[in-house]
Amino acid sequence: MNGREHSDAELLKRIDLKAVERRDRRRQGRNFLVALAFMSPALLLVGVLLLVPVVYNIYLGFTRWRKFSGIDEFAGVENYARMLSNPFFGEALFNTAIWVVASIVFPILIGLAMALLFRGVRFENTFKNIIFIPRILAPTAVGVIWYYVYAPDGLLNRGLSVFSGDPVDIGWLYDSATVTPAIIATFVWQTVGLVMVLVLLGLSAIPKDPLEAAKIDGASKVQVFQHIVLPLLLPTLVMVTILSVLAGFTVFDLLWVMGISYPGQRSLSLTVYMYFEAFQKGAWAYGSAVAVVIGLVVLCVTWIQAVLQQRVDKMTR
Amino acid sequence: MNKYVRSVIAGVLGATMIAGVATADDVQLYHDKGFWSEQLQAVGDASAEATGVRIVENPYATAEQYKAFIQASIASGDAPQMFTWWTGQTFTELTQTGKIAKLNDVWADMVASGEYAESAADLFTVDGDIYAVPLLLARWVMLYNKPLFAELGIEEPTTWDELMAAAETVKAAGHTPFNATVHEGWRGFIWFQELMLRTDPEAYLGLHNGTVAYDSEPVRRAFEMWVDMYDKGYFTDPRSNEEIEDFAGGSAAMYLMGEWVVGSLAASGLETSDLGAFIVPNVDPDAPSAVIVEGGPVVISAAAKDNPDVMAALKFFSSVDGANAWAEASGNYMGNLKADAPNPIIAKINSDMTEAGTATYNRWWEATPPDLQGEFVAELNRFMLDPTMDTAEDVMARMQALNAEYWADQ
Amino acid sequence: MTVALDTLDFDAIARRERRLQQSKWWTLAVAFLISLIWLIPFYYLAISVFKTQQEYAAKAPLALPDGLWPIVGNAVEAWTQAKMGFGMLNSAFYGLVGAGLAVFFAAMAAYGLTRLDFRRKNLWFMVIFAGTVFPFQMYLIPLFFFYQDWGILNTHFGMILFYTAICIPFPTLVLKNFMNGLSREMDEAARMDGASEFTVFLRIILPNAWGPMTATFLLQFTWIWNDLLFSTVLGNRPETRSIMNALQVFQGSYASAGPNIVLTAALIASLPSIILFFVLRRHFMEGMRVTSL
Repeated sequence: MNGREHSDAELLKRIDLKAVERRDRRRQGRNFLVALAFMSPALLLVGVLLLVPVVYNIYLGFTRWRKFSGIDEFAGVENYARMLSNPFFGEALFNTAIWVVASIVFPILIGLAMALLFRGVRFENTFKNIIFIPRILAPTAVGVIWYYVYAPDGLLNRGLSVFSGDPVDIGWLYDSATVTPAIIATFVWQTVGLVMVLVLLGLSAIPKDPLEAAKIDGASKVQVFQHIVLPLLLPTLVMVTILSVLAGFTVFDLLWVMGISYPGQRSLSLTVYMYFEAFQKGAWAYGSAVAVVIGLVVLCVTWIQAVLQQRVDKMTR
Repeated sequence: MNKYVRSVIAGVLGATMIAGVATADDVQLYHDKGFWSEQLQAVGDASAEATGVRIVENPYATAEQYKAFIQASIASGDAPQMFTWWTGQTFTELTQTGKIAKLNDVWADMVASGEYAESAADLFTVDGDIYAVPLLLARWVMLYNKPLFAELGIEEPTTWDELMAAAETVKAAGHTPFNATVHEGWRGFIWFQELMLRTDPEAYLGLHNGTVAYDSEPVRRAFEMWVDMYDKGYFTDPRSNEEIEDFAGGSAAMYLMGEWVVGSLAASGLETSDLGAFIVPNVDPDAPSAVIVEGGPVVISAAAKDNPDVMAALKFFSSVDGANAWAEASGNYMGNLKADAPNPIIAKINSDMTEAGTATYNRWWEATPPDLQGEFVAELNRFMLDPTMDTAEDVMARMQALNAEYWADQ
Repeated sequence: MTVALDTLDFDAIARRERRLQQSKWWTLAVAFLISLIWLIPFYYLAISVFKTQQEYAAKAPLALPDGLWPIVGNAVEAWTQAKMGFGMLNSAFYGLVGAGLAVFFAAMAAYGLTRLDFRRKNLWFMVIFAGTVFPFQMYLIPLFFFYQDWGILNTHFGMILFYTAICIPFPTLVLKNFMNGLSREMDEAARMDGASEFTVFLRIILPNAWGPMTATFLLQFTWIWNDLLFSTVLGNRPETRSIMNALQVFQGSYASAGPNIVLTAALIASLPSIILFFVLRRHFMEGMRVTSL
């Protein structure tokens, strides 16, 4: 080892360092050009089709749009002010908030409960697979199936009629009181399988020793869960929650398919509202502003994720 | 499949539009009526035979995307040569771009030949200039199930009271009088416009220029009648997704709809010979006869006015031969007086209107500002799903809030 | 360790054992019940596609169908009415080409980001990865106008272009992490032998990255197959429509077909992803794990 270092030093002395540096810089420059060539298809496609549109969208949100002539003039925050006075925007925002809360609470609670329930049970794998299957289907297909489950003469009403003995005739997807919960139920049905699988992965990574130790010390099941399992599972839960919120917040397919016969479809969520305003009414600038609001919320969620992740990392370390 | 392969190749090669391979003599007709694709192409083929210029129909899947496509085309400088549009406010907006050709000379010939009444151009006239030829002209009338009317001994009602009496008879016999749903999300306005027109035609017009509020007394009265009819069980379940099939299958005795539905009803199994139609009578028996009409315009771009192929296609479209080809293929009427009426229903309404000197009113959908259509019809649908006076008040208040905001901006 | 036999309460142990057994039995029952509830929609789908329209309307929704033959008629009707042939071919085309190109371009970018030495690598990576940060809604309106302007709205080319772009960032992340872990000895050796960078990439790195590339390809393929939003906005014509768009249009508008037909269409549209899942489950699970990391 020592002999080698020695000869390296001698070698270095013999080499002109400046030349090396120069060569190095040149190589870096050449490397960069080669790397750029390798990255160029990705950069070009992402840049032109994703990043430029985002910038243009932000710009559009501050303009006023005339139907047949295109952008007319800069309008400042006019579009954003208009949102505040539009009752449908308020409703859409409210429903979106419901989605955010629901997609935090239900998938986690149900996914966690299922993971704990199924763990170690006989046929665990079969059960897991069954809960996971809806996840393979496209949301559009899931929406179509559940649309008929919820139909006035559909599976749910007929099933309820059999159980209650009286004919049940609830327009699940027609009534403002039931439409959002009904679609959220479908969302949970489809997505909870993934949450469960991820939680199970997290559970299986928990070391056995502290659990055994706690049991020997006479800790109750609840205590073990609260003081050992939950803290160790926290990173998984945070990640799953964020995934779930982003998915729930930007749901479109299910609302588009299942909300088709609901008169207030436009206000089922901000994503649908934006589509209606831009692509049905031709309020392009206003629609762009709504898209910016959606983007801001997504950025907030992503930011919260980063902060939480950091905290959790610190806690577990 | 061939078409598919061709379009894939065209797409991969980055060819622009892949609407079939157009040759020099083809004129593209853009529209959003996908359900009439084959029928429009039949007219296009007839045009190729008669004039040597083939019209190639070019459907856009949804009305929304179609509107956006036309608006963006015009915004970027060139309107499509020939395309369909809607009447009313949105038509005025379209013509004000200056990109649409004036067709006063074409209409002069159309009227001089005796094929069209001068008034037929009213829906397409903006500030004294005519900008379109008709794609269709549909009156919104009450269709009824003839065998059921005969069985219950009901005559065609000529007054509002007779209509309500007929409804009562139908109801008493265990049937439902009127077929009405919120299917596809646009139907909410149908009974609203009818009740407005039958009770207060002046107020009906006023709704569309901001002079009558959506929470004013005339509107409230219409809603009260509507609620009353729902209370009496006069309407079918609004949640059905098969409105046309329902009526064809005998769900109700009467069906308020545009004449174009006759063809669809026949396709669903209700023979046109079993179908009758009448213009809905006014609540005030002394009020002049009136009917809602829906006009579908075909326009050409200002640039296409100098293109002889496009002009030949356009003239063929509105000619007797064109009207007959269109009627035969789709059962649609475009108001050509020398062409054959596509079906007995249309012939009957034609003669009824001539006899009574019926005035025409533009359909609510076209007459309402486009910025309000979607929200309003959603509100009206909401009412149909929960037809109580409480909901009606809420619906009226919300419509008026948006209405006031819109007109304040104008 | 000695056991004080006299202090052991055998009855208590037996009781505890029994309780444990019972609780296991109890959880098994609950698990079974939940699975059953989860399966009902599938069962409903499975039997509905075998029913004729009359049967569907007349029978209890969970009653077994009379025969198996109606599915043929249902499938034919769904296939022709919903124009599913176009949709299936289009989606397969978009999925294969779009996801394939995207993963290939992502691998190229990942190669540049990991196998070559230059400054501000992270910045360049962030530029590519920024494509996933924004919600889809922010792309829609500008893309619609750009496509209009470039004359590629409602074309296969336009759809492929977008699907490729949207599918690049995520595989770039995965492949970058993967390639970082690959040893550099092989490519250095090849470079010594005078191989060009592209040869090194094609001959040495790609074959080694086959695993994660397949996993991300499957994920992106499924994403494209399932997409409804962008097909609705950028390719909404029967010839360019994706399968999910065709399904939605069939269910939403002029569908005079009964629920049994629409459900059959939903099943047909889902078959490819179901088959893919069962055939390539391992890769999918890997993909899921990759997504969650």
